[in-house]
Amino acid sequence: MSKKIVDAAGRRLSLSNLNKDLYPSYGFTKAHVLEYYRRIADFILPHLKDRALTLKRYPDGTEEEFFFEKRCPAHRPAWVKTAEVHHKEDRMTVCLVNDLETLMWVENLASIELHVPLARAGSPETPDSIVFDLDPGDQANILDCAKVALILRDLLFQMKLECYAKTSGKKGLHVYVPLNRKEATFEDTRRFSKAVAEVLQRNYPELVTAKMAKEQRTKKVFINWSQNDPSKTMICVYSLRAREKPVVSFPLEWGELEILNKQGDPDKMVIMHSDAVNRSEKNGDLFREMFTKKQKIPYL
Amino acid sequence: MALQEIWNGTISFSLVAIPVKLVRAVETGHVSFRMLHSKDYSPLARKMYCPKEEAIVPADEIVRGYEITPDKYIVITDKELESVSPERSRTIEILEFIDIRDVDPVYYDHPYYLVPSKGGEKAYRLLVEVMGQTNRAGLAKFVLREREYLVAVKSTDGALSLITLHYSGEILPGEDLFPKEDKIEAGEKTRMKKIIRDMTADFHPDKYADERRKKITKLLEKKAKEEGTVEAPEIEEEVEEGVVDLVAVLEESMRKVKEHR
Repeated sequence: MSKKIVDAAGRRLSLSNLNKDLYPSYGFTKAHVLEYYRRIADFILPHLKDRALTLKRYPDGTEEEFFFEKRCPAHRPAWVKTAEVHHKEDRMTVCLVNDLETLMWVENLASIELHVPLARAGSPETPDSIVFDLDPGDQANILDCAKVALILRDLLFQMKLECYAKTSGKKGLHVYVPLNRKEATFEDTRRFSKAVAEVLQRNYPELVTAKMAKEQRTKKVFINWSQNDPSKTMICVYSLRAREKPVVSFPLEWGELEILNKQGDPDKMVIMHSDAVNRSEKNGDLFREMFTKKQKIPYL
Repeated sequence: MALQEIWNGTISFSLVAIPVKLVRAVETGHVSFRMLHSKDYSPLARKMYCPKEEAIVPADEIVRGYEITPDKYIVITDKELESVSPERSRTIEILEFIDIRDVDPVYYDHPYYLVPSKGGEKAYRLLVEVMGQTNRAGLAKFVLREREYLVAVKSTDGALSLITLHYSGEILPGEDLFPKEDKIEAGEKTRMKKIIRDMTADFHPDKYADERRKKITKLLEKKAKEEGTVEAPEIEEEVEEGVVDLVAVLEESMRKVKEHR
């Protein structure tokens, strides 16, 4: 096993198997994955901060088996910050990725995908945002998701709510409504998102479904409102996705989404690792309002 | 039915490594019932109840205590428990091969099957065959769900089975329970041997079935036909005033959006 001791923010970290091809069809090794996260760290860390991380580990690369790890591995270095959380009857210790060295340690475990809940570990019942997870069914694609996202944006705007979109890095789009209010509850975000999804389904029955059942999703976009739940996690913005290529879950401006929607080329909504770094360094964090924008869910 | 995989990893010893999956070998024939509220058949949930406060206790107020004497406990946190848990591992490391006939069934805890993963079929078959012929079983340590088990890997009908074993400390001492040695008369011994010989048969477990289970299943079928089923009420998502307003406002907003598009 190849090992390398590096210095990350003053911590000694032993990195292993750096030459392992984690995206074998593309030729992207663990060293590349670590380099991507090092360069994107300033952008992703605020979104990971104080959230119970679910590691999705691909020890043999994205084309082999993976496993989810909610518990922070017991062999963690002493400096890794953790939190105690409850999951149903279980209580467990989870990792908090609040700094570069922890991010590097987590990636050394080949945790290519980083999934986090909508609430912070210290207030697990208080969602910071509402999410609409737009998932295309069979024979639908990310362009259909873009159409739904734009309608959703207009609808929320009528309700005086600002929202932000990112690619899922797979086939769909995620639309977030930041709340940043202590009073927010998952019960409210769930009720609101469900009502919104159902109104969209009623008004655009050919395009939208709010129903989980697979057969109802064909040619349609499923608005998965049930992600608004304390036990669910979403792929973190700027996280890599484990597919053939190192694609990133990346924020898109509404103007860009409108243009992409008109151009009608789904491939242009695939943001690769290198674009993600270049665009973030140029434009800053398009998701920064997620921490600051205070909004109240109306009519609840 | 594809059996659900509980764990996957490799069996290893010496230079051999066989990729395998662990699946259940038995499913108890226990007929289980849900507890329902008799008045409307709603399924009931278990909650933790504090008799002192006469109230349901939320999960974040529950800790583990080890009882020393009544009302005296040592509180143990998850962190502490985790600190003594073994590290998860992807291997069943065989430490030694033993004669499986030496292991009294009192040590047997729970059986599983091991199924070869891709690429492991040949080595798997070889191990099945050689252990079967020699009555050998591999004794291994194995971590499953945060516990380390002592297990025997043995050959069972052309496949590998894995049996978790009790640690010797878990076997209760029997000395006091059993009669002390007494002289046995030779005639008695011969008679006993004869009775057993006369009753000897091959093991055909399919001759026997769980009669109670059969009767319950029959009873359930009969009741389903004659009386039908009862249905739990749908949990009504209380559409409160607020939500009614919300839906109305959403519909109105939607109308405006459509006008502008």
